[in-house]
Amino acid sequence: MKDVHSGEPMVFQYPVEDPYATNILVKLDEEAGGGVGEHKDIVAFNQLCTHMGGPLAGTYNKEHKVLGPCPFHLTTFDLTRHGMVISGHATESLPQVILEVDEGIIYATGIMGLLYGHAQIAGC
Amino acid sequence: MNDEEFLVGDHVPLPPIDADIFTTACDYCIVACGYKVYRWPVGRSGGSRAEENAFGVDFPRGPLQGRWISSNQHNIVSVDGKPHHVAIIADHDAQVVNVGGDHSIRGGTIAKKCYNPTSSTADRLKYPMLRVNGELQRISWDDAFEIMVAVSKHVIEKRGKQAWALKTYSYQYWENTYAITKLALRHVKTPAFAVHDQPTGHGSDTPGLSDAGIDPFSACYEDWKNADVLFMSGSDPFETKTIIFNDWIMLGIQRGMRVISVVPRKTAGVAHAEKNGGLYLEIIPGTDTVLHMALARYIIEQGWEDSDFLARYVNSRAEVDLEVFQADGFEGYKRWILSYKYAEMIRASEITGIPIEKIRLAARLLAEPNPDGSRKKTSFGLEKGNYWSNNYLNTASLASLGLLCGAGNRPSQVIARFGGHQRGMMPGGRYPIEEAPEKFPNRQRKAIDLDRWVEDGRASFAWVIGTTWLQAMTASERLRDRFLQLTRENPHQVRSAETKHAIETLIRRVDSGGMMVVDQDIYPIEPIGTQIADLVLPAASWGEENFSRANGERRIRLYPKFNDAPGEARPDWWIIASFGKRMGYRGFDWKDSNEIFEEAAWFGRRRRTSYWPLVWYARKKKNTTGHEFLRGLGTTGIQAPVRYEEGELVGTKRLHDSTLEPGTQHGLTGNDHQWLTDFRTETGRANLLKTPWEIFSDFYEFMKPTGDELWVTSGRINEFWQSGFDDLKRRPYLRQRWPENFVEIHPEDAEKRGIESGDRVVLESDRVPVQVGGFDHGDEARQGIVSLGHITMEEEPDLITQTIASPVERKRRGVDNQEAMTTDIEGDELLGYVDTQEIAGRRSAGARSSQDEASLEEIPTVATTGEYPDNVGDDVLGETSGLGIRWSDIEPLLFSSLQKNGHIELTRGSCEAIAIVTDAIRPGVAFSYFLVPGSAANSLAPRVLDPVSQRYRFKLGRGKIRRLGESQYKHDFTSMTFKSRAIT
Repeated sequence: MKDVHSGEPMVFQYPVEDPYATNILVKLDEEAGGGVGEHKDIVAFNQLCTHMGGPLAGTYNKEHKVLGPCPFHLTTFDLTRHGMVISGHATESLPQVILEVDEGIIYATGIMGLLYGHAQIAGC
Repeated sequence: MNDEEFLVGDHVPLPPIDADIFTTACDYCIVACGYKVYRWPVGRSGGSRAEENAFGVDFPRGPLQGRWISSNQHNIVSVDGKPHHVAIIADHDAQVVNVGGDHSIRGGTIAKKCYNPTSSTADRLKYPMLRVNGELQRISWDDAFEIMVAVSKHVIEKRGKQAWALKTYSYQYWENTYAITKLALRHVKTPAFAVHDQPTGHGSDTPGLSDAGIDPFSACYEDWKNADVLFMSGSDPFETKTIIFNDWIMLGIQRGMRVISVVPRKTAGVAHAEKNGGLYLEIIPGTDTVLHMALARYIIEQGWEDSDFLARYVNSRAEVDLEVFQADGFEGYKRWILSYKYAEMIRASEITGIPIEKIRLAARLLAEPNPDGSRKKTSFGLEKGNYWSNNYLNTASLASLGLLCGAGNRPSQVIARFGGHQRGMMPGGRYPIEEAPEKFPNRQRKAIDLDRWVEDGRASFAWVIGTTWLQAMTASERLRDRFLQLTRENPHQVRSAETKHAIETLIRRVDSGGMMVVDQDIYPIEPIGTQIADLVLPAASWGEENFSRANGERRIRLYPKFNDAPGEARPDWWIIASFGKRMGYRGFDWKDSNEIFEEAAWFGRRRRTSYWPLVWYARKKKNTTGHEFLRGLGTTGIQAPVRYEEGELVGTKRLHDSTLEPGTQHGLTGNDHQWLTDFRTETGRANLLKTPWEIFSDFYEFMKPTGDELWVTSGRINEFWQSGFDDLKRRPYLRQRWPENFVEIHPEDAEKRGIESGDRVVLESDRVPVQVGGFDHGDEARQGIVSLGHITMEEEPDLITQTIASPVERKRRGVDNQEAMTTDIEGDELLGYVDTQEIAGRRSAGARSSQDEASLEEIPTVATTGEYPDNVGDDVLGETSGLGIRWSDIEPLLFSSLQKNGHIELTRGSCEAIAIVTDAIRPGVAFSYFLVPGSAANSLAPRVLDPVSQRYRFKLGRGKIRRLGESQYKHDFTSMTFKSRAIT
C-alpha cells in the first residue's frame, strides 16, 4: 500500500503471467466502485481494450480518472464506475481486478469480466 | 419488458468446427457493417485449440486478430424449434466497409437482439391480439385479417381512400417496403401515407442537394478517407456512423486530412479531429445557412473558387427566371451573395456565434489553392444537425458552398450525406398526389401532412408499421391526446373477441367519427400498441427472414434468416400480402421474399439502388434466384446501381463520377443513367442556389430562447443510433450505461440553475408551436389552400392533370391522359414512367406556374422528353423541390403568415433527464437524446413545416431546465457515467 502513489499507475500481471493479462493498479483520489484503501479509491483494471484488443498502457488520464482513448478507435473507460464504457465501441466494461487489502498489502483476488481475446478467464 | 440485470460474463462458448456460418450485415445504422453468424446446436461447443473451433485459430487471441467473442456477442436461439448457440461477430474477413472486422457498440452487441425467452427480448410480440375491454387478447391471423378487411372496405367505401391511413418505417428492408407501398399507394391509392420521420410520403431529406443536382448518396466511403479537407456538417460520425469514422475518416486524419466540424457540441470524433489539425466550429443551432453563405462570400472575395470546375460543370444560367432559389450561373450567384446582407462576415459571426477568424480560417482550409496553384480535394458530408434544423436552406447553401470548392463529381471531392437508416425503401407505387386535398398557393397539390390529418379527424382507419408514430418525430402532446380521443375515448369499444361483434363495433366507431388503429411491430410499443391500438400484429425481422437492402454507399447485401421468429410472428411483407389478397387486390401471391426482391428489381430499376441486372444475371446466366446470388456475394455485396457491362456484373462506386467510363451495356439490363457521370439535372450540370435567410428567419426569431430558456437540441449517441427499437430497453449492458435519458448542459448554464452532474432535471416549455388545420374551405382564403370540401369527394380530372405538368408540357409529351395517373400499372413499365413525369413536372417551372400559360411558353423547360427520363431519384413519394418557386408561392407558408392566419397553436412539452454538466457543449445550448420512451426531448421540438420542402425542424427545441433533485445515479458506481465524451 505504501508504494501506491496518487495518479501513478503500477503495472502487474494477473491472473496469469501473460502479456494479455497485464493490468494497472492506480489510486484515483476519488471514491470508485470496487475501490480499496482508506478512501476506497485504489482500483485495478486490465490493459486491453475490450473492443479489438487495443493497448491502453500509458493512457491513464489523471484529470478525468479515465483509461483511454484507446489508440485504435478512441474508446474511453471510466475507472470510477467499474470500467464502464464512456464513449466508444467496446461491448463490455474493462475487466476489473478485484482487490483486497490485508495488513497494508494489496491482493488481487479475482477478475470481473472476460479479458479481451479469451474464451474464459484463465487461471480462475 | 423483462428488466434483466446486466451480469458480467466470464466465459463464452466457441463454435465447433462444423458450425453453420452465415454472412449478414448489421440491422442498424446506415453503414451496415459485415457480420458473420456462427450457429451450432446446444450441447457441443468447440474448444480453444485451432483444430477444435470453427475459427481455426488458437485462443487467446491478440490485438486486432479478430475472431474473439465477447459475452455480449453470444446468445441462445431457436432453429426449427431446437435450441442453438449463435455467436454474431463482425466479419474478420470483410474486404469492404468494416475492413478486417471493426464494429460499433451497437452491432457489436447485436446477438442480444435475437429472441430468447430468458432474456429481455421475452416480450417480443408473438400472436395477433385484439383489444377487448381495454386488454389485448390473442386471436388468430384469420380473425385479425377478417376484422381489418371488413373495416377497411367500409372506410374506403363510406369515407374515401383518404380516410385509410398508413404510417410506416422507410427502411426495414426492400421486400417489406415494396409490399407496404404496393398495397397503400398502388392499390388503396391513399394519400394518407407517411414514413416514420417525414410528415408525408417519402422524399428527399436534403432537397437543396437534390435541386443542385446532387444525389445525397453519391459518395463512397473511400471518399471520406482520401480527401484533403472534410467539412462535416451537423454530425460527428464517430457517434452515429461509427465505422465511417473508425475505418475511413480516422485513417484520413492519420494521413493528414483536415476536418472542419460544424456542430454545437464536441464529442470524441470532433475532439480527435481538432487535436489533429482540424477545426471545430461551435455553431448556434439552426444558423448553418448563414455560415455557409459567409464562407461562400469570403471564398469568392478572395478569388478562391474553383473556376475551372464552375465553368465546366455548373449551369451558366438559370433554367427558370423570376424564382426564389436558382442563381443565374456563377456570375449571378456572385452578384447576389456579394450584395446579400446575411452573407456579411460580421453579421454571420453574430448570428452563428462563431468568431470571424475561425470562419476565415475555415474558408482558407476549404478553398485556398496550394502554393503551386493546384487545388485541395475538399469533400462535404452532412447529416441531421444540418437538415433537421433548417431543411431547404441548409442543404441548398451547403450544396452551393461545395460546388464553389469544386466538390460534387470527382473521387474525394464529393457532397453527400453520411446517412441515417440504411437505404431500405423500394417503392411499389407512387404517392397519389392527385388524391391529396391541400394545395400550395400556386395551386400545386401538397401531399398530406399525416399527423395534422389525423388530428383533424380525417382518418378512420390507421395502420402503423414499425414506428412509434406518436413519439416519431415531434412527440406532440396534441397528437397523442387526439389519438386517445378517437380510439379509447370513443363510446364504441370491443367487448368480446367474437369477430362479428368486433367488426360491428369498430364500424360503429368509425361511423361516429372515431378511428380504428392497427399496430404492427416486433415489441409492444408504448403507447400506440399498449394503450391505443385495437389490433396488434407481431412482425418477424432481422435474422428471421431473408431480406435485402443497401447501405450508405449503395452496397447491397443479403440479410439471411438464421433463426425462428417467436410464436406466430410473420414478416411484414407476409402480413401485407395476406391482407391485400383478402381485399381482392392482384399481385400479392408471393411465395417467399425472393419473389418480391425480383419483382421490385424491375420497378426500381431507375433508382440509385437499381439492381435489376443482378436479378437478370442470376436468372439467365447462373440459373439461381436473386437472393441466392446475393447470398453468394457475402459481406462484400455489390454497389448500386448494378450494371451489366461486357458480360460482367459491375457495381457503381460513386454517382456523378466524372472520371467514370461506363462500358457497353446489353439488352434489357440497360442502366444508362446520365447521373452516373453527370449531375442529376436536365443539362447534367449542377445548379448554384441562392438561399434567402428571410424564408426561415421569422421562425428562427420566434424559436430563439428568451429569458432563462436554452436551446434544447437533441440527437443520438454512439450507444443508441438507429438501434433504439432494440437497445433502449433491451440491451442489459447498455441499459446499465444509460438507464434514463440525459441532458448535457454547459457549466455556466448549470451553475445559474444550481445543477450538478447526476441531478434529475425537467426540461419544459409552454411555447411549442404546432401547425394545425388547413383542410377546410375557410382555410383557402387564409393560406391559399383549395379544399376538396369533403374527403369523400371524387377527384376532378382537371385537378389530376394539373399535377403532372402544364397543358403545354402534357401535350408535348403526349401524356394528356388521366389514365396515366390512375390506371392499374400492374406488371408494366408505367410505374417508372409515371413517377418520372411526376417529378419532372414538379421540378419544372411549368408545374409551379400552371396558371400562367403565357409566360410558360417562354420558360425553358426542364422536363425530359425520352421514354425513360433520367432525373427520377428516391423522391417519387413526396414533395421536395424548391425549383420554380416564386416569392408569392412561399410567402403564405412562412411561419409568420401561418401564425397570422391562425394555423399555429402553442402547446406544452416536457421531459425529465439526468444532467451531465460539461463544457463540451456551447453555452446557451442543452443537448438531449432524441427519442427515449417516456422522456421524449423532441416533445419540445416545434411541429412547423419548412415552407419549401414540408419537412420538420426537429433540432430546434427550446425550453427551461429546472433541477428536481439528486438522481439515484449521482453516487452509484454501477449505472451511468458523467464523464465527458470528448476526452482526447
